Amino acid sequence: MSRVHFSLIRVLLIARNTLLEASRQKLFSFLLLLALGLVGGAQSFREFNFGASELKFLADLGYGAMAFFGAALTITATAQLFFSEIENRTALTLLAKPVWRAEFMLGKYLGVVAVTAVFCALMTVLLVAVLWSRESALLRDIPDSFTQGRTLRIADLLLAGYLQWLKLTVLAAFTLLVASFSRTQLFTVVTGFFVLVICHLQYLARDAYAQGGSTFAQVAAGFVGLLFPNFQLFNFADDVGAGIPVAWDRVARVSVYALGHVAAACGLAVFSFRKREI
Amino acid sequence: MSTVASAVPAIELRGLIKDFSVGLRGVKLRAVDDLSLRVPAGQVFGLLGPNGSGKSTTIKIILGLLEPTAGGCRVFGLPSTQVEARVDVGYLPESPYFYRHLSGRELVRFYARICGLGGAKVAPRVAEVIDWVGLTEAADRLVGTYSKGMLQRIGLAQALVHDPRLVILDEPTSGVDPVGAAAISELILQLKAQGKTVLITSHLLTQIEEICDRVAILDRGRLILEGAVCDLVGRAERQALIVEKLSPSELQELRGWLGLRGRTLEAVTAPRARLDQIFLERVGRGEAKNPEGGG
Repeated sequence: MSRVHFSLIRVLLIARNTLLEASRQKLFSFLLLLALGLVGGAQSFREFNFGASELKFLADLGYGAMAFFGAALTITATAQLFFSEIENRTALTLLAKPVWRAEFMLGKYLGVVAVTAVFCALMTVLLVAVLWSRESALLRDIPDSFTQGRTLRIADLLLAGYLQWLKLTVLAAFTLLVASFSRTQLFTVVTGFFVLVICHLQYLARDAYAQGGSTFAQVAAGFVGLLFPNFQLFNFADDVGAGIPVAWDRVARVSVYALGHVAAACGLAVFSFRKREI
Repeated sequence: MSTVASAVPAIELRGLIKDFSVGLRGVKLRAVDDLSLRVPAGQVFGLLGPNGSGKSTTIKIILGLLEPTAGGCRVFGLPSTQVEARVDVGYLPESPYFYRHLSGRELVRFYARICGLGGAKVAPRVAEVIDWVGLTEAADRLVGTYSKGMLQRIGLAQALVHDPRLVILDEPTSGVDPVGAAAISELILQLKAQGKTVLITSHLLTQIEEICDRVAILDRGRLILEGAVCDLVGRAERQALIVEKLSPSELQELRGWLGLRGRTLEAVTAPRARLDQIFLERVGRGEAKNPEGGG
């Protein structure tokens, strides 16, 4: 009998099925509501009209909403789409076929990544439209505040959206790692949020201990920094909202950084799931 | 299939042991205890036993979903832990829950492609197995709307779509009405006629008796009986004669005739029709393929 090799086709089939499941579970209805909320929220700030800084405020609000709701979506979708396979026993039928467990895990991961991609793309496009429209209005109403023309760059706004998505791909990989050994969906979701907080705040601990902590604390903080990615590196929204150009080499470095963490977390998730009793 | 290939048993278990750790202290619970079994190719083999006897655990080991604690399991000569061992295996799980967001056709197509079928072969093969299990009319409905019997049938379709040599059916008639159960029995006999090996677990012992060549009975993980169905249920030293109703004097005469030959008339009973047969006659086996009638 010929060998069954790792197949990218099977991975993509499982990913497509995961995305389809998410879409038919009306997950995207939630996204649509969120997007409408964002547009509505932005419209309400038309009352204030506080010049160029308003654009920075709107950008912060938009990317902040994308980060917050994106993280919630990523953690819950990863846990839900993984555990629905285990609890509904559909994984039993699937893994009884000539399917490698690595293919199953990577398929689930890519499916969630596709869900987050749809979310980030939708939110970014809407945010760009809102910002562009508001800047046009401000240019018309208070041209003195825009002596050098438009401050916003569409490419940079899109890049900031891409980096938000990149952060969510890392978060999905870490949540999948937790799900691979967790027995319950609730534990996975709670641990996923815990990981999110650590990833956002670990740089603070490292900075604080580097300046005056004990050797043990410095080593511990360094260790946490090695294990968990620093999500602050993905935050370009402040610069973009203020019209500061995004450096491409910085984007490239962050992309490689994210890819490394995704590869490590997915590798560990596959290893952990390898012997799991279904 | 070559002669050499058919000489290899479809399933071979040798000294199989499976322990589960229970609770925080990791107390060992033995689900399968030193089980040795051969399922010859081309037969319908029944794996019987009460709940908790280790049937489903044994099936999961055969499918590579669990690793044995000790002993070995081979499928067509390959260790069951290898992915390759599952290439020629179709599996219908107990109480199947499939992707509710897919239609029946999408579900079978998904599994067909997962099993390596591609290109122009997929659509006709999917249509063929859906038609074979009698779900053509309901093929484009979401699986989430299917009745229990329809779920079992679409499960059978996904198990067969890649034309496997071994089909494993875990409680295929669980929760299915007699018409649906009879339809599934017919499908299993058709599989046997096609030369496939079928491993089936069921609590419907009448069904098992009708369709299985061999059975094994497990209890608390141990094999307590194994053999050909005809050898196990037949009583070669006895016969039953069915005649028109005899009067008391004729019966007395028969006893005397037998007594002269050193024989004894052990029982006189009126033959009874089986309730499931009456049910099937009245409800009609012809409706068994009605997609709405499966469960």
